[in-house]
Amino acid sequence: MPPASDQKTGDSAPALADETFRLHPLTPIALGGRVLGILIVITALGFAERGASGGASPNWIQVAIFGGLALLLVVRGIITVAVTSYHLLGGELRIDSGLLQKQSKRIRLDRVQSVDVLEPLSARIFGLAEVKVTTAGSERAAVRLRYLALPVAQSLRADLLGRSTGAGEGAVEAPERPLITVPHGRLVGSVLLQMVSWRLLLLALGPALTVIGQQNGHKATTGIGIAIFVWFAVLIAHAIWQRVNSLWEFTVTDSPDGLRVRHGLLSTTRQTVPPGKVQAILIHQPMSWRPFGWVQVRMNVAGYGRADSSKRTTLIPVTDRAFAESLVGWMLGGVDLHDIPLTRPPRRAALRAPLWWRAEWAGADDRVFVGRHGLLSRTIDVVPHQRTQSLRLSAGPWERALGLASVHLDSTPGPVRTRAAHRDAAEARQMLDRQIDRARTARQIGTPQSAQAPRVS
Amino acid sequence: MASGVTNVAFAPPPDQTWTRVSPLLARMRRTVVIALGIPVVAGVAVGLSFAWDTAGPIVGIIGALVLVWAWFAIGRNFRSWRYVERADDMVVTHGAMFKKLTVVPYGRMQLVDVKAGPIARSFGLVSVKLHTAAATTDAEVRGLTPDHAGALRDRLTALGEAHAAGL
Repeated sequence: MPPASDQKTGDSAPALADETFRLHPLTPIALGGRVLGILIVITALGFAERGASGGASPNWIQVAIFGGLALLLVVRGIITVAVTSYHLLGGELRIDSGLLQKQSKRIRLDRVQSVDVLEPLSARIFGLAEVKVTTAGSERAAVRLRYLALPVAQSLRADLLGRSTGAGEGAVEAPERPLITVPHGRLVGSVLLQMVSWRLLLLALGPALTVIGQQNGHKATTGIGIAIFVWFAVLIAHAIWQRVNSLWEFTVTDSPDGLRVRHGLLSTTRQTVPPGKVQAILIHQPMSWRPFGWVQVRMNVAGYGRADSSKRTTLIPVTDRAFAESLVGWMLGGVDLHDIPLTRPPRRAALRAPLWWRAEWAGADDRVFVGRHGLLSRTIDVVPHQRTQSLRLSAGPWERALGLASVHLDSTPGPVRTRAAHRDAAEARQMLDRQIDRARTARQIGTPQSAQAPRVS
Repeated sequence: MASGVTNVAFAPPPDQTWTRVSPLLARMRRTVVIALGIPVVAGVAVGLSFAWDTAGPIVGIIGALVLVWAWFAIGRNFRSWRYVERADDMVVTHGAMFKKLTVVPYGRMQLVDVKAGPIARSFGLVSVKLHTAAATTDAEVRGLTPDHAGALRDRLTALGEAHAAGL
């Protein structure tokens, strides 16, 4: 039995009791993952060599080297487990680790931006899960508790979120209300359509070379053509598989301790973003999705960084435009994206951004700033005034020659980059000044969360 | 028409005037460009004249023109580094060719960075950089004297604490 499970938060415990817990004893094996598996297989093959070399003894050298490495890996894991302990002390999480060099790390839970429960395949097999606590700042600021038994991980998540939102100890999972589950067919269709891009031209390069080779009786060209085709086919199939595997059963639910996102086929992920921690949102429509009216929704969350952005920043991988807009509006406290007056750059901006200048819309109401851009693929960026960081004005030589300037709204690192591009210089400055006032007012008042969630599509 | 038109966007906030940075910034950059530029131009001109007689004067003239242009470009760029501290935020602007203006609300500042490289230090110059939770925030004031920079940092830190707004 995992010793951690009996440390689980007692329902009857007083609010914000101190707790100590440890990693699950199977952690070393799950941490070893694929590498450990390969080492063990090679070691086993060493034993099996008996038959091949005509009744000789097993290949001891192979067994010793690879078995030794596997053992080393496991021993290292065991030491890690033995010397690592986690303590929940009121509103703080403390992690003590290190055998020779002791380390102690403290995290203030009111600074927590999101809590994820991850089950990579190698851990899921053993019923284990990782709890990843992200605080504002760099990606390195994230703390990974690897591994805990799944029920322990889940109750820890609830507990951390309960403490972080100040709701007290949330040992019992807060009740959740489903918002959307992406149907399998639509997910696969959307992923396939996203692969329709210039990359397909590379795929066509193979058969083209093969045909040329055949016609000229040049065998090498034919061979290269086939190789290119197979190579790109494998790459594309792999990309499709990765996306489908990661986004499978994508479910978004709403709960008192935040927005919950669950997805994954072999490895699963459960993210929880506490209320008000979404910094900015975008609705994106790749060109190939336009006939179907599909869009995806992505978000900026402080601490997610850009490294694994596409995976963690996805809020909905594919849905209808109407649902996406109503969800975004609801998340921002009851904003109707269609009600916001948008303007376009002046006509002379065509000299700076031919054709595309027509698609550069931007505008704001008293709560959010909205920017739309893109002619073929289309994106709507939305930032609440309360969450804008800094504001920028820029003008390159070409823009200056035309008397234009661009306004940028800085948000935490992520997919959303809001701007009003190529405006008349005076208008740009006006937008900037108004935006400064709006952001200041919003910071002072604070935006209330709205009550009514959109209906599931 | 135009560059004048764009300047209205980068004008100081109403009822405010820009604080300019120390002229030592331009002197430092000019010194570096001259100290590196003249030996490089001379070296290339002399080296090439061994291969082709007229190459020397041509390279020399072009090099001299580039250095003269650099002299004025540095002056233009130096004059573009300006800032103003307001009640709720700090406005920083720089750039002659690529103009930039950044507004950082005090409540959004995560940290204030004071830096000086070896060359800047030998000229007695320091730069102050404001960081927010956004990586794209581009608010740096170069060419401050250490006294100025220290005082600015202390003021900003105090204002940041007074205005602090959570993420």
